Amino acid sequence: MIYLDHHATTPVDPRVFEAMRPYFTEVFGNASSRTHHAGWQAHDAVEKARKQAAALMGADAREVIFTSGATEANHLAIAGVAAAAPQDRRHVVTLVTEHKSVLAPVARLVESGWQVTELAVPPGGIVEAGAVAAVVGPQTALVTAMLAHNEIGVVQPLAEIVHIAHAHGALVHTDAVQALGKLPVDVHALGVDLASFSAHKLYGPKGVGALFVRRGVEKRMRPVVTGGEQERGLRGGTLNVPGIVGFGAACAVASGEIADEAARLEGLRDRLWAGLRERVGEVSLNGAMAPRLPGNLNVHVAGVEGETLLLGLTEIAVSSGAACLSAEPSHALLALGLPRDAALSSLRFGLGRGTTAEDVDQAVTHVAEVVGHLRAMAPAARASAGVRG
Amino acid sequence: MAYSAAVLDRVRNPQRVGVLPDAPEVGTGEAGSMDAGTFARIQVRVEQGRIVAARFKVFGCSAAIAATGLVAEWLEGASLAEAGLVTPERVVQHLQLPEERVHVAAVAVDAARHAVRDAGRRQDERHD
Repeated sequence: MIYLDHHATTPVDPRVFEAMRPYFTEVFGNASSRTHHAGWQAHDAVEKARKQAAALMGADAREVIFTSGATEANHLAIAGVAAAAPQDRRHVVTLVTEHKSVLAPVARLVESGWQVTELAVPPGGIVEAGAVAAVVGPQTALVTAMLAHNEIGVVQPLAEIVHIAHAHGALVHTDAVQALGKLPVDVHALGVDLASFSAHKLYGPKGVGALFVRRGVEKRMRPVVTGGEQERGLRGGTLNVPGIVGFGAACAVASGEIADEAARLEGLRDRLWAGLRERVGEVSLNGAMAPRLPGNLNVHVAGVEGETLLLGLTEIAVSSGAACLSAEPSHALLALGLPRDAALSSLRFGLGRGTTAEDVDQAVTHVAEVVGHLRAMAPAARASAGVRG
Repeated sequence: MAYSAAVLDRVRNPQRVGVLPDAPEVGTGEAGSMDAGTFARIQVRVEQGRIVAARFKVFGCSAAIAATGLVAEWLEGASLAEAGLVTPERVVQHLQLPEERVHVAAVAVDAARHAVRDAGRRQDERHD
């Protein structure tokens, strides 16, 4: 099995695992225990990880709030800002292509009387700054847009969005989960106020994430999980010390390798795209080719039915334009204008640290075989009406 | 929704995919549509009241591939009377098709019935 689904999750890097190991059994203190050595050790480990994570994000360590993952970080950003918004700022702007963990808390705001604008995107998937400018106003509390897309990999023009939103006094949040460790991320250069991250997308453990909260922005938020004063009062709950240590270590590893790895993955991705075009044929790219995550390729394969294609691909792990067998096409692909059947017969390839050129070539061969087999099985276009029917 | 081993095996190792060389003994039937997501074409070669060969082509989900392949298998070697006993219900039961995929059995069986009828019509024309 060749694993090409690194947008879904990544394996824990052995260096990260080694860094985490002592924090399960030997250094087990509660980072909030201030009265003994065990607590201090845990606290120090968390603060070291906070610095490591902040460094990769381009943030100050005090601006990093650890969470249970990106879904919680997205909820804290959206519900947290909404809870503190003044009565005359009850409007939020997002994109139709956002991850469900953004769209769901945004949809919940509608129930409380908020105005929500879900901006459409052009076929390339990259929003026009002008479209954002057209809908953001003095009533807007928050604009939220994904930095790099989890399905089609396209990178949104966040700096431009920030410029527009800030001119109206609105805050900007970005779900930067897929970007961290893959692309250089600098939250201060982008100018965003809030950014969500997840450790398991960059070879860290599952169950830990972070929300970057720009200094001062915490005054415009309220916590979602309450009952503890952890994380500057923005997120109650005992800190996941081994997970946080792993997140920090994963960030430290990534910061040393990001430039070379991005170039390597881009080369492999281009090799994959060339191979699919040459050996599978009748494939088309979903979303603009650039700017895009270096390890991402999302393609529609013509002439095959989506479910059968996915079931046939037994030698590679990829993601499709549908949740497996649910037959519900991806909302993001539909938003690009793809017909339902084209969305269903689309494949998302996510290349990662373990992917080799040999893996890519084998994947191309396998896809070509399976698609060839299915296309051979398909009848030619239907004979004229009424004939032998 | 999950497919039975019978469905998965027929998708991975389909038998009788293809077309029969055109001949007066060969009948062709089609059912469904590409737009609707399931389109089946079955061909039968009938000699002395018995189906001596059956081939199929199909576009659709795994259940559609398995159902059309199963119908072709059942047709081959069957008498015309036996061919009439191939029903969607039997296909659903044999393949343990999930509720959401039951309709594809009807498409496969319709294609088969049209193919048998077409073969009969062509033979009648020959005897005219």
